[in-house]
Amino acid sequence: MDRFQKKYIEEANDLIISLETALLLIEKDKVNQELNEEVFRIMHSLKGGSSMFGFDKISELTHHLESAYDIVRSSKISVTEELLDISFLAVDQLKLLIVENPNLNAQTIEKQSNLLHKIQNVLENLEAKHDIKNNQFIENLKSNSDRFYTFFVKFKPNADVFDNGSNPLYILDELLSENICKVFVNDSDIPEIEDFDIAKNYTSWTIIVAGKLSQTDIQNIFIFIEDESEVSITQIAEENLFKNSEFIKIIEQSVLNQEAIFNFSSQGKQEVVLKEMEVGKQLKTRINETVISSVRVDSAKLDALLNIVSEIVTNQARLNLLIEENTKNTALINITEDFNKLSRQLRDIAFDISLVPLESIIVRFKRLVRDLANEQNKQIDFLTEGIETELDKTIIEHLVAPIMHTIRNSIDHGIEPKNQRLALGKPEVGKIVLKAYHSGPNVVVQIYDDGRGIDPEVIQKKAIEKGFIPASAKLSDKEIVNLIFKAGFTTASQVTDISGRGVGMDVVKRKIDEIRGEVEIDSIVGEGTTITIKLPLTLSIIDGLLIEINQTKYILPLPDVRKIFEIEHSKIVNNFMGLVVHKDQQYPYIYLRDEFEIYTPSPQLERAIIVNYENKNVCIIVDDVLGEYQAVLKPLGYYFRKQEFISGASIFGDGTVALVLDTNKIIKLFAKKQTI
Amino acid sequence: METKFNSDNKNLSSYLSFKLDSEFFAVNVHQVINILELTKITEVPKAPFYMKGVINLRGKVLPVIDTRLKFGMEAIVFTKNTCIVVMEININGERVELGALVDTVLEVIEVDNENITLPPSLGSKYKSEFITGMLHQNDEFIMMLDIDKVFSSDDIIEFKESAEEPEKISLQE
Repeated sequence: MDRFQKKYIEEANDLIISLETALLLIEKDKVNQELNEEVFRIMHSLKGGSSMFGFDKISELTHHLESAYDIVRSSKISVTEELLDISFLAVDQLKLLIVENPNLNAQTIEKQSNLLHKIQNVLENLEAKHDIKNNQFIENLKSNSDRFYTFFVKFKPNADVFDNGSNPLYILDELLSENICKVFVNDSDIPEIEDFDIAKNYTSWTIIVAGKLSQTDIQNIFIFIEDESEVSITQIAEENLFKNSEFIKIIEQSVLNQEAIFNFSSQGKQEVVLKEMEVGKQLKTRINETVISSVRVDSAKLDALLNIVSEIVTNQARLNLLIEENTKNTALINITEDFNKLSRQLRDIAFDISLVPLESIIVRFKRLVRDLANEQNKQIDFLTEGIETELDKTIIEHLVAPIMHTIRNSIDHGIEPKNQRLALGKPEVGKIVLKAYHSGPNVVVQIYDDGRGIDPEVIQKKAIEKGFIPASAKLSDKEIVNLIFKAGFTTASQVTDISGRGVGMDVVKRKIDEIRGEVEIDSIVGEGTTITIKLPLTLSIIDGLLIEINQTKYILPLPDVRKIFEIEHSKIVNNFMGLVVHKDQQYPYIYLRDEFEIYTPSPQLERAIIVNYENKNVCIIVDDVLGEYQAVLKPLGYYFRKQEFISGASIFGDGTVALVLDTNKIIKLFAKKQTI
Repeated sequence: METKFNSDNKNLSSYLSFKLDSEFFAVNVHQVINILELTKITEVPKAPFYMKGVINLRGKVLPVIDTRLKFGMEAIVFTKNTCIVVMEININGERVELGALVDTVLEVIEVDNENITLPPSLGSKYKSEFITGMLHQNDEFIMMLDIDKVFSSDDIIEFKESAEEPEKISLQE
């Protein structure tokens, strides 16, 4: 049961996200009946699973909301503001319920009863509205619902129907509970006892249903099981055929004599068959869709896969090396080449699998914008661009908090109130744009708002006050604005007073640093602000520059490297300025041998690598540069947690380990003594 | 390292014994993953001095500790008997694998728990908090290590307080 429950939770979480998405769309397009249907369907699905797996509160909540959306969709009125607000609250509550179940917080329970109470009000209002607006419709509905129909239902669950925890008998119960039915069991498929698998279903049913219900009503009953079974529903008469003794006689003789049954149809037989086919077709396409779309995988399994793949890649390199050196056996060489190709493909696919589109986290930003805008009585359009851009799932996970933070800042402090905007000659409706695109080996995510921007003068004053920069410092506006990423730059109240920006931007920067990204801010006073986040495509593989110090190999991230040149060791000894000169440019330098406390004799000729650090060029001096290297990054773990300037290690083809250096940290750590 | 264990007798436990300098130590085999021959160790700059570096263990990066330095002895000298004992320890609930350099791996011994004496109480010449017990065998004392404690500590652990004050060595961060 635990397994089913886990699966339900996964599905429910997906459903809640789709629900939130649909609600956000409805808000823009309140008369869209398709969206209403969608919401209704999701509520229905949530309700169905929840009671089965002991999420009673979810079932309670969705049941009432479902009723509300049922009124909306059946009477074709548009969704009210009231209903939408309550629906969003309900979404939050659903999220809570999923997490807390079964040990609910007292607060949550109180929220629940409040919500239910409010939903009740909404329902009453809706009904009133519905009554006035659609009197005529109700009349129809009433007369309709007085009418009896008789259906012929064939229900054949698949053999593996129990795997998802579905029980076909519950479905039959639901059908039987309010209708007159005659159920015929077809057990001819049950195998001999030795072939019998108790986990499989072998039974199908033929049911004659008569009642005040429509074909859709019956379809709704089968909604949870339709993917796992064959269902065909055929209307055979617009009356209750059970009152007809002739009919009873026929079905008792042989239920499988469909022809005789269909002859009782008050409509033409032809039409009925057509209908049946249509339903069948619909169901089939749905089944097909579920087959292709996607597979859910435990992310731990994915990590395990990636580990194995990087091991294969490493071993492949070893094999290649051995083959090159030792063999003249062409067959072996050919096989190795084939394997090489395959493992390359395997690696590409495996890395591709762990990529997730940015789209998957966008709903919560939309929601945040909606809620905050409503709260602060601002009107804001949230636009997205390029959100199909994919990133490593670990990066995506770490990206949510910083983006949330940035958007919150944009709304709280960037976008002006309506009247101010109008006075400034700006459009009344504010704009926040989230844009993502590829740029070389990186993915760039930008968050733009057309708010009031950041005043560099105010920031500069603050920075001098706080002692971050000397009063005499000459910095560009951009450099000044980027000072807000410095830890401890401001507290909320101070920043709101001065520029309306900067709350916890150091936190944003730290989070982005954690995933080896970079963040930058551009702002024009009165026009808006753009936060640019530059991210690596994946955390597990990096393009590196292979370097050597004291016969030990290290890897520097290649994207940081700007220039490499030779330098004589004599130019570094007794260099009191801490600067090296190359092509008339002066660069502050870091001598890694010293920093790593290596005291063996240095080579005469060393290599200087210019790397970019916070828009400045810094020179790192090493023994030698060996070439480019694509490194699979592995963590160093507990014992080296304090060696921050090492981001991990990579294993070479010959099985030895090389350390991957973190350029930013090296500069930060080792440059303290000098002014860089 | 396949050894048949007698599971009938609940009082029997298996230990892997090894030698550092002239001292004998043992760890419960449950925490030993395997024993490796010496391989090229990549040094990590600015690491604590007893951290010898890292090696590749089947695609994972394994930290290697110079156990002799960790135990306040002289640095290990590599011989053909030098081995890396790969162990799994628990640090604050987290599983951590590490390789411990030892001079010689001796054997897997099956010990009746009754023969293990309790760690000597405080004030004796052994640091009792890092050992679970002592075993007297063939005129030698074997120290049964509590490796969870030994290897989660950042400090140098000296089991014997030598007559002369050992040279003070400051830890690098």
